[in-house]
Amino acid sequence: MSRRIGRLKTNSDHSSEFVIPISYGSTEVIETGKWGFQKPQAFFQTAPCQEACPAGNPIPQFLYLAGEGRYEEALEVILKENPFPGVCGRVCFHPCEKDCNRVQYDEAVSVNAMERNVFDVTFNHPPNMPPLSDADSKRVAVVGSGPAGLSAAYFLGRFGYRVTLFEARKELGGVMRWGIPEYRLSKSILRKEIKRILQLSIDVKTGVRVGKEISFEELDRFDAVFLSPGAGLSLSLGIEGEDLKKVWRGGDFLDRINSGDKLRIGKEVMVIGGGNTAMDVARSALRLGSRVTVAYRRTRAEMPAIQDEIHEAEQEGVRFEFLLQPVKISLLKNKKISVKFQRMRIRGRDQSNRPKAIPIQGAYVTREVDGLIKAVGEGVDLSWIPGTLCKNSLIHVNSSLTTPHPKFFAGGDAVDQPRTIVTAIGAGKRAAIAIDLYLRGHNHDDVFSKIRVGNKGVLSMESYLSGRSGGNWSEPKEVVSYPQLNTLYFEHSQRVEMSKLGKQKALKDFSEVNLGFNSKEARISALRCFSCGTCNYCYNCYFFCPEGAISLDAFHQTKYVDLDHCKGCGTCAKSCPRNVVEMKDVG
Amino acid sequence: MPCINEGMSMKDFMTGNHAVANAVKLCRTPFVAAYPITPQTAIYERLSEWEASGLLKGIMMRTESEHSAMAACIAASLTGVRTFTATSSQGLALMHEMLHFAAGCRAPVVMANVNRLLAAPWGFWADQLDSLSQRDTGWIQFYCENGQEALDAVIQAYRIAEQVYLPVMISLEAFFVSHFMEVVDLPEQEQVDRFLPPMDLPHKFDIEKPGFLVPVVSSELYRKYKHMAQGSMDSVKKVAAKVDQEFKKEFGRGYGIVEPIMIEDAEVVLVTAGSITSTARMVIRDLREKGRKIGLLKIRLFRPFPVEAVRDVLKGKTKIAVIDRNISLGSGGIFCQELRAALIHSPDHPLTYSYIAGVGGTDVTPEVIQKIALEVMNRSEPFDKPIWVMEE
Repeated sequence: MSRRIGRLKTNSDHSSEFVIPISYGSTEVIETGKWGFQKPQAFFQTAPCQEACPAGNPIPQFLYLAGEGRYEEALEVILKENPFPGVCGRVCFHPCEKDCNRVQYDEAVSVNAMERNVFDVTFNHPPNMPPLSDADSKRVAVVGSGPAGLSAAYFLGRFGYRVTLFEARKELGGVMRWGIPEYRLSKSILRKEIKRILQLSIDVKTGVRVGKEISFEELDRFDAVFLSPGAGLSLSLGIEGEDLKKVWRGGDFLDRINSGDKLRIGKEVMVIGGGNTAMDVARSALRLGSRVTVAYRRTRAEMPAIQDEIHEAEQEGVRFEFLLQPVKISLLKNKKISVKFQRMRIRGRDQSNRPKAIPIQGAYVTREVDGLIKAVGEGVDLSWIPGTLCKNSLIHVNSSLTTPHPKFFAGGDAVDQPRTIVTAIGAGKRAAIAIDLYLRGHNHDDVFSKIRVGNKGVLSMESYLSGRSGGNWSEPKEVVSYPQLNTLYFEHSQRVEMSKLGKQKALKDFSEVNLGFNSKEARISALRCFSCGTCNYCYNCYFFCPEGAISLDAFHQTKYVDLDHCKGCGTCAKSCPRNVVEMKDVG
Repeated sequence: MPCINEGMSMKDFMTGNHAVANAVKLCRTPFVAAYPITPQTAIYERLSEWEASGLLKGIMMRTESEHSAMAACIAASLTGVRTFTATSSQGLALMHEMLHFAAGCRAPVVMANVNRLLAAPWGFWADQLDSLSQRDTGWIQFYCENGQEALDAVIQAYRIAEQVYLPVMISLEAFFVSHFMEVVDLPEQEQVDRFLPPMDLPHKFDIEKPGFLVPVVSSELYRKYKHMAQGSMDSVKKVAAKVDQEFKKEFGRGYGIVEPIMIEDAEVVLVTAGSITSTARMVIRDLREKGRKIGLLKIRLFRPFPVEAVRDVLKGKTKIAVIDRNISLGSGGIFCQELRAALIHSPDHPLTYSYIAGVGGTDVTPEVIQKIALEVMNRSEPFDKPIWVMEE
């Protein structure tokens, strides 16, 4: 001990030394950091919102940047994981908000509206997303240009592969282009996103249907193939009269509307189904001037459509009749359509644990309408795909989206996964990584477990890229739970909701209903984020550090701990509101 | 209402606490930091009122604790300004750490401590243990007999502190001094200004040359500064005596660092500090009238302990009785300890008896003192243990 003290230097001034020692040098010569047994480390951890996002959006990061007004950086951060912020910010079912830690404090952060805001604000200044690696001579085919196909093409393009994108239709976008009505997703938004993706070297072949213009076998000349044809076939009800010419299929109806066709569908319209397609159909029919009733075989609680969509449909005037199962459709002499329904009731649960609807014996009702649209689900057209790749009317894939044929990968609505835009985007990313690993000769499973975002099957492109060139990846981050936050540092605040077009105006045409945030609403919303597990430069650690050993640079997003003077007291870790700082033992 | 005296000063009827407050104002102390505590609060309140009315020029800092009050005084003092704080008992105990800093930083802070017992059990009564248990903190300590002496001691304290660069604690007992109202001679401002020049501190902070105080020092350096401080402390005995003489010249009152009363032919010498002295003065006068040769020694300066002065005064005495309003558990009266140690090198040093009286604010009546004096006259054997004086 005395040897140690002996080394300490004091720079005393002799003029005052007759009374007290005064040091005119810096106390930095005393390396108090050597006393500690622990050192702080800034461990970026996963927020539950991020874990819940099927595309793995870096939500706390982009909200932090948006809150700082650094919108272009915010967009760039999203684009590293998800090429469709403009689309997702409008049509995503945002499971992130359900899992937001702030729900346990007051109300969820408006993540979805903020994603849209980031896209909208940067609309005229889109960042350039160049390839991440030098051009690779390997060629990858992507079949289908919906959210899964375009995402896969985007990420493969960023890896440097030569991508050929086959699309049967004249325009790209798949369900985003032909399935979602304009009032939810404007075509100009979609075009903007696709244009950004196509800046990468992607060879686009529109109007080329595999199995028609080119054969499936011709795909064999590519080093890898991603199949994302979507689910374009309307499922049938299996009842008499459903093929009558006056009965619309939901997909066809939306396709025609999205093609700009002027449709006349009749005054009184009935929609059969309870999913998102049924909601889109019903609300589109309202905009054509019809009165619309949705008939669904279970109750509102069992409707598979997004809650927001159901709510908005109700707000706009769509009526609902529940526990009705159609049994017969017929055309009356007055040209009206008659639908006979079996009355149902809920009893027990089916194999997938959903409440089961069973018929009430002898209870029937009949409805007469001018137009009928059935929207009871979509199937996949597998006619052009070899049977060995298929199972249960879907393309068969494992967890790395590889088909039984190792060179072929598939994702989106054509495989067994939830049919949402954001799930398809996540699949595109997962497939791109799987293809990259396949072409580079790595094992998927080892890597996937390292680059996961939380425990819900989402992958981080950022994590993947961090280990891609070296071929090794660090351990995945843990998810920050609510009790791990230091909520004493947060104030309660109300969630801001987006303003919407009034009902009268909304139903006049297909104008976008949701109007987005103004700059003040956006700032408030962004700053509400707890930023769980992500440093947002609140400077708590800086202010509380008794040694003044912490330096932060919010602009360059750098953090530095002067380990020569950090005693390892752990105050920074305790005072961090978002569980970013962790104390680690030192040898 | 104040009345005009024949001289320059004014007489007023006031408590010991208000006498202290008056002294602080007269010394033009620009920085006061304190926290209220019974029975000192009256000092704090009076200064606070004067600050509000503009009579006290400067800053009165209302800190959240005595520890902070002392820290603030040290820092302010080291900027080169006169500082003051007042406290008592638990407050002083809470300050303990900072007392060492004040002395170690050689900050000439002046503090009034109203002697109150230390809990537990809880109480507010006079007892000197609070300040005496701070005897090793490096502070100069004075014990005052009455309000006038408390006022004068504060003025003297600044003169001494600013010469030797050591802090001074003025102690006055709870209620017996702090709250008793007596006629107090209030000096004129000009007199005090003449006596007390503006403060000058060689080691004060210099904005032009920023430095860091209390750096880590080596063992050898630490020893060096302690040795130097001991030298300064030792010099206080002479400095304080000289300051007191000069004070007497200016104000007509003097106290000495110790005061011998009717010592010359005394067979027994009583030793007291603080308010008990006043009672003892009366007792020995009465006993002398009855032919008993009793003397009295008042100890005013306790730190540094005036060894030489005490030894001179008690030269050739055979019996001493020290009356302590304090008890160091396991030992005895603290003044007695100090006195015994001071006399150890005197040839044929006297028998020294330790009496504990007045602990916890109990009354030390003339009867009690007389009983002690007569008892000691009849004793001829040394007695190590302290003798407690209790009511019959």
